[in-house]
Amino acid sequence: MKLYLTLILLLPLLGSIVNVLFGRKLPRRVVEVLACGMVWGAFASTLLLFLEYRAPARVELLSWLAAFDLQAPVSLYLDPLSLVMVLMITFVCGLIHIYSVAYMAGDEGYVRFFFLLNLFVFAMLLLVLAENLPLLYLGWEGVGFCSYALIGFWYRDERNATAGRKAFIVTRIGDVAFAIAVVWMFRMFGSLSITEINGMGVLMPAGAVTIIGLLLLAGAMGKSAQVPLMVWLPDAMAGPTPVSALIHAATMVTAGVYLLMRMFPLVGTSETVLTAIALTGGITAFYGATCALAQSDLKRVLAYSTISQIGYMMLGVGAGAVTAATFHLLVHAFFKALLFLGAGCVIAVMHHEQDICRMGGLRSRMPLTFWTFLAGAACLAGVPLTGGFFSKDAIMLAVLEKGTPLFYGLFLVGLLTALLTAVYTFRMVYLVFGGSGSVSPPLTGGGEGEGVPSRFITPTPTLPRQGGGRLRVMEAILIPLAMFGLCGGVLNLPDYLGQGWLTGWFAALPGPAAYGGRTPHGVDIIVQGVATCVVIAGFLFVHARYGGARREKAIEAAGAPSVVTLFFRAGWRFDDLYRLLFIRPYGLLARFFWERVDEGGIDDSFDRLAKLLGRAGQGLGSWTTGRVSVYLLSMAAGLAMIMGYLAWMVW
Amino acid sequence: MIVPLVHVLVLAAVLFILGLVCVLVWRRNLIMILIGIEIMLNAAMLVFVGGAARWGTADGQVFALMIVAMTSAEVSLALALVVYLHRRKKTVNADEFSEMKG
Repeated sequence: MKLYLTLILLLPLLGSIVNVLFGRKLPRRVVEVLACGMVWGAFASTLLLFLEYRAPARVELLSWLAAFDLQAPVSLYLDPLSLVMVLMITFVCGLIHIYSVAYMAGDEGYVRFFFLLNLFVFAMLLLVLAENLPLLYLGWEGVGFCSYALIGFWYRDERNATAGRKAFIVTRIGDVAFAIAVVWMFRMFGSLSITEINGMGVLMPAGAVTIIGLLLLAGAMGKSAQVPLMVWLPDAMAGPTPVSALIHAATMVTAGVYLLMRMFPLVGTSETVLTAIALTGGITAFYGATCALAQSDLKRVLAYSTISQIGYMMLGVGAGAVTAATFHLLVHAFFKALLFLGAGCVIAVMHHEQDICRMGGLRSRMPLTFWTFLAGAACLAGVPLTGGFFSKDAIMLAVLEKGTPLFYGLFLVGLLTALLTAVYTFRMVYLVFGGSGSVSPPLTGGGEGEGVPSRFITPTPTLPRQGGGRLRVMEAILIPLAMFGLCGGVLNLPDYLGQGWLTGWFAALPGPAAYGGRTPHGVDIIVQGVATCVVIAGFLFVHARYGGARREKAIEAAGAPSVVTLFFRAGWRFDDLYRLLFIRPYGLLARFFWERVDEGGIDDSFDRLAKLLGRAGQGLGSWTTGRVSVYLLSMAAGLAMIMGYLAWMVW
Repeated sequence: MIVPLVHVLVLAAVLFILGLVCVLVWRRNLIMILIGIEIMLNAAMLVFVGGAARWGTADGQVFALMIVAMTSAEVSLALALVVYLHRRKKTVNADEFSEMKG
């Protein structure tokens, strides 16, 4: 078991180190095979570990931080939660690595790309497997760094670099809260081990636990792009599409949810924290869905939908349903990675056109992408019997089970969000794949979305030049993801169809995590029926607006967006709000310090002092001869005088 | 100890004065100044070694080694400076370089 765990962590790290040190000297094919092989190797050892797994285990690999009573060794914790996460991560990462080989085939920066991608996998696995908080924090910051570097991968375009910095800074706000929580927990519990802290949660004063829980929630908000720290995720789409699929949809952004689930035995003891988590999740889910409705950029639609779906997971954690949240997390990873990768195929074929209003008719041009994308869209919208349907339903049911007025309200918000989700999902499918496809102008400037500057013009070479081989590889990756997305429901079937696998698997988790079917099966079926009706309503609405010839009319109408559309398209104008509230005052303050204090005060006084000293030196310098020989003579004379004085003193 | 300390000190004093005279007499020639400084340093080194031998400790010898190392570094730098100065004014006359005068 120790060997497998070590391999899981070390293989991606080895891949990244070899690539960064020798990647430039190696042939391109070797770099690509190395990067993919290491991740698949990690997946293989995870599978072996999965087969060998019996009970939660704590494995100490080596000692790391140790000073007085601060102990933070490199120790890993393997329990059902981390095991399913590692399985999902290595599998999705492996697929996306292969996809990246095809997607980045024309890019010169492939060594840097695969180095960062492998390093990301290592950091993510470290985050998931860490047994103590400093190690988890190390992985947490590691994925943050890789995310930053990969968003700004095409850094020559300044907008991409800015988007990377924005992501880094906004998530850093949450990270500070998380770091405070870590230090505080060490003060309170005298330990940094997650398992020990989780075991002691009930013994501690409720107020402190509440504040720690809220700080952890703030950290999760930053990482998982929850309101109010969600502004970085839509801009993060500036990175290459595989990166968006891997980091900003499937794995890293769920790290916040994972943190809360990991610490659930602690945070779950405070009802206030749970309510705050649920509220954050509900608001974010609704926010993301409304914004996704109005976007015209394909990747931005998916970005907002990711925000919305992570909101659902948060809602699930807040309702105490860790199993349901994990279920949704896993299924979401599959279908959202699928949607992003499908979008990558579409964008590559469309010569980096990302405006969905300019697409169309792709159903006949790329049928494989269409069908797999449709499968992903069905999961996202929650069409019955897909994975997304069951996982979302599990969360909604858990919210309903809480039974307080607030949670009834959140249930309604969730239902409304489900309706919006169905609408924006099918709108996207209709716009991208429907229609005749007469409008596909390969514009040089890229999609100019009205109201929103299109900042995602990415300079990869266009795809079809090398023929369809690369596209075929990329499309082939979509198939297993579509299978997992569609059949993901099998992971955890509702109670009336028998005990779900995930529920049974998670029964061993400590704390109040276990979520059994307390409600009668009838309620479950009713909730699912309502969800089905909502999806059908959404689909009918979209069909009525975008079906057939009405599609062109709707696109024309989108040319003159209403105020509400613009408001939603700009993400409720949160960017402008933050610019007004934080960036402007900060800029003014910085300008004051720069111009008044630094240049006006400090620099000026030093300049004057230097000028004064220089003038004094010049004045004194005019007293001397400047001739070395005179100096030497006077030195010798001085020496003789001192010697004479000493001689006189002695005798 | 065969050679008494006083003899060593006298020899060192003579060496030192030789070096000093060298510096003072040829004070307009940069290279002669350097040679004089070297001789004076050697005199100082001799005193250290003599003292170490007199009191039977290694400290003085350590200092002597230090001085050897330091002198070699100093000479290499100083000669480089001389070459540089010679390139600038085609002379090694010390008094030609009087820019320090304000």
